[in-house]
Amino acid sequence: MKVFDLRRVLASSVLEIRGDGKAGGGLVLAFQSLGNLFLHDPQTHVQEWPFFSSARRGANIRSFLRVSQKPVTAVCEVTRPSLVLLMDDGAANAIDFAQGVPSGGTFVLNTRRGPEECARHYRLSGRVITVPGDDIGTKYLKHPIGNVSAYVTMALAIGGFEHDQVIEAFLRMLRKRNVPEAVLARNREALSASFGGIREGEYDCCGPGDHLSQPFAGYGELPTGAQTALRLSESNRTAHFAPSGFRLRFEDSNDACTGCAHCIANCPEGIIRFEPHPELGVKVSGAQVSQFCKLCQECIAVCPEKLFFRAPFEEHWQEEEITIP
Amino acid sequence: MSTLQGPRAPMSHVTTPAGERYDGAIDLSKVRAAHHALYEAREEMTADGNTAAALATLQMWQCVIFAGFPITPSTKYIETIASKIAADPTTKKKVKLLEAEHAVADYLVGAAAACRDLIFPTATSSVGLDHMTETTRSLGASGLGNVMIVNVYRATANFPLCIEGDPSDALAHRDDGFIQICARGKQQIYDTVVQAPCLGMHPEVMTPTMPGYYGIKDSHRNARLVVEPDREIAAFHDRWIRPSELPGLINGDTAFGNCVTSRHFQGFKISQKQRMERVLDVLPKLGADFENYFGRPGLAFFDAVGFPDDGEVDLAVLSMGPDFGTFEAIREAYGKRTGLKVGGIAMRLLTPFPRDAVRHKLQRAKVVLVVNQAHHQGRGHLTLDVADALSDLEYAPRLVSAFAGLGGADVSEPTWERMLDFARSAHEGTPVAPYAFFHEGSLL
Repeated sequence: MKVFDLRRVLASSVLEIRGDGKAGGGLVLAFQSLGNLFLHDPQTHVQEWPFFSSARRGANIRSFLRVSQKPVTAVCEVTRPSLVLLMDDGAANAIDFAQGVPSGGTFVLNTRRGPEECARHYRLSGRVITVPGDDIGTKYLKHPIGNVSAYVTMALAIGGFEHDQVIEAFLRMLRKRNVPEAVLARNREALSASFGGIREGEYDCCGPGDHLSQPFAGYGELPTGAQTALRLSESNRTAHFAPSGFRLRFEDSNDACTGCAHCIANCPEGIIRFEPHPELGVKVSGAQVSQFCKLCQECIAVCPEKLFFRAPFEEHWQEEEITIP
Repeated sequence: MSTLQGPRAPMSHVTTPAGERYDGAIDLSKVRAAHHALYEAREEMTADGNTAAALATLQMWQCVIFAGFPITPSTKYIETIASKIAADPTTKKKVKLLEAEHAVADYLVGAAAACRDLIFPTATSSVGLDHMTETTRSLGASGLGNVMIVNVYRATANFPLCIEGDPSDALAHRDDGFIQICARGKQQIYDTVVQAPCLGMHPEVMTPTMPGYYGIKDSHRNARLVVEPDREIAAFHDRWIRPSELPGLINGDTAFGNCVTSRHFQGFKISQKQRMERVLDVLPKLGADFENYFGRPGLAFFDAVGFPDDGEVDLAVLSMGPDFGTFEAIREAYGKRTGLKVGGIAMRLLTPFPRDAVRHKLQRAKVVLVVNQAHHQGRGHLTLDVADALSDLEYAPRLVSAFAGLGGADVSEPTWERMLDFARSAHEGTPVAPYAFFHEGSLL
């Protein structure tokens, strides 16, 4: 395995970059800022765009960036990126963020974990760079948002930029959004701190069958009214759109359910489990959480007995292998 | 509007067949002077499509009221305008957020009819445009060329809901009577919006405009954008936009929904169609003047690539929107690999469809592959237009119809290659289906 130089890729063809994260996590701003960073060179052309799914906070989203010394005409999705970013560990639950990356590519991860641990866990071959962006965000921005650090790390991975140049390009994007000066100052601190939090190494952990692009298998049968069928299909598990790090829990150890059925009526996914009850009419026993719960919290809001609640979990790191559906 | 009114002294009241006219009620020189320039010099930036369209309208001194109602993926257009106006507390410009899209269209009618020298833009998508339909059909016939609806293309069917770029909304509204122009890429979006009022308000045309671009694929895609100084945009408009023959405030008979009998109805429609057809004469002149003035390509019937001087190609692609760029990226390599001469055109002017220009460009192609990206019960909207354009040729090219990218689906390089292979088999004489769907390099 030979790690390839991203600057040389840019000089000879098109540098293609892809990022995965969750809506509301700042992924789009990180990519817009990275595109903006190339603006100082009038010979460089950029094309940056996001892909949204249900467009709600917590849903998986993707960002793409092409950079070239020639005008960029192709607009199709990036399928063989030289550089990928995993902005949120939870996003990797639903997709393979490293799919299609050639051996020797660059992997940037916003995580507290080290590059070696990540390389082994995700089976990565190439240059693996990590940064604890959420921790830096929490310290300087009072919010666990890692996009500032992810942006800095990607810029350093590409190389060729001055320290101040990297900081100013990001702040320029914030100014376009009319962000107040006090917030700009905190972002400046977070940007500077990010340079010191980066760890990297080169690893060769990818097996022969890992991260291959999956061929299109057709749409299958989509009967009339198939929105419901899509929701129920194994390949469209709406639980993947839930905010990462939490799960819905139902506990009724005191047998408190009154059978009011508000949760059943309000659940948009229809996943509340219940049984007939001779006195109450129905009695709720839980919910089919792992597949389809988007954690919209409707049930939490309507239950008069407070039997539903949000609970933290770190499921994907507890699994021995990553399962890609 | 009152803050923009001029002194009352020169105002006069005139009765005309078009209504009660109050000349001088709006002092345009004061409106112009009240404009705060957004850019004093040419500037480069990165911007997405919605921002590019919003900046273009904000830079026009004639745009003083921005009526709107947000709908994905056009929302950032009105958000950008609102944030820029909010950031300038001394501006007289206003954002008017209304109850729904129908109300927006109604508002545009009233405002545009009241002052035909000002420009009234908005942006919408998909079912938002559908909701406007009752009024857009009237607007199309109204002669109010100072109305501009920026259509950010999105699949118009609401089952299943899809927020991504698919021109089925624009193509479902071909008969609304708007001049429909498709733009692709940030610069083309900006430049198209700058030119659109020159076309719509031209005295020979007098027809509202609907510049459009693909949702998400262009509305949310950032790339380099050059913006011109406001004064240059005003100077360019001065070359094309003449004072309206119906100046000032108009009251009375401009109300919409007037009933006519069959004795007159057809006459109105013939007049409407004639005005629309004149776009085919005016647009090339306008585009050429824009290029001469700003040094970038102006409005055109289509973008063409790969046609030799004699126009003879083995395979010609006709499509629209940003995915054509992916075809451009692979065109040369595909031609070398197959030994075919491959050209292509990306439609810009959708309504009126430039039949003669398309026929002229494609007449020496052996096979024409039309790529449709909107749901259609037949062979495809564009296919029917091209079939019509080629119908009276003695030796018409073989027409091959494809669908790809519906609902904004990715049209990858393998998908383009598979579609070209499909057309190549027709070139070799193999019978092909009336139409076919393609995705991820496969014929479905």
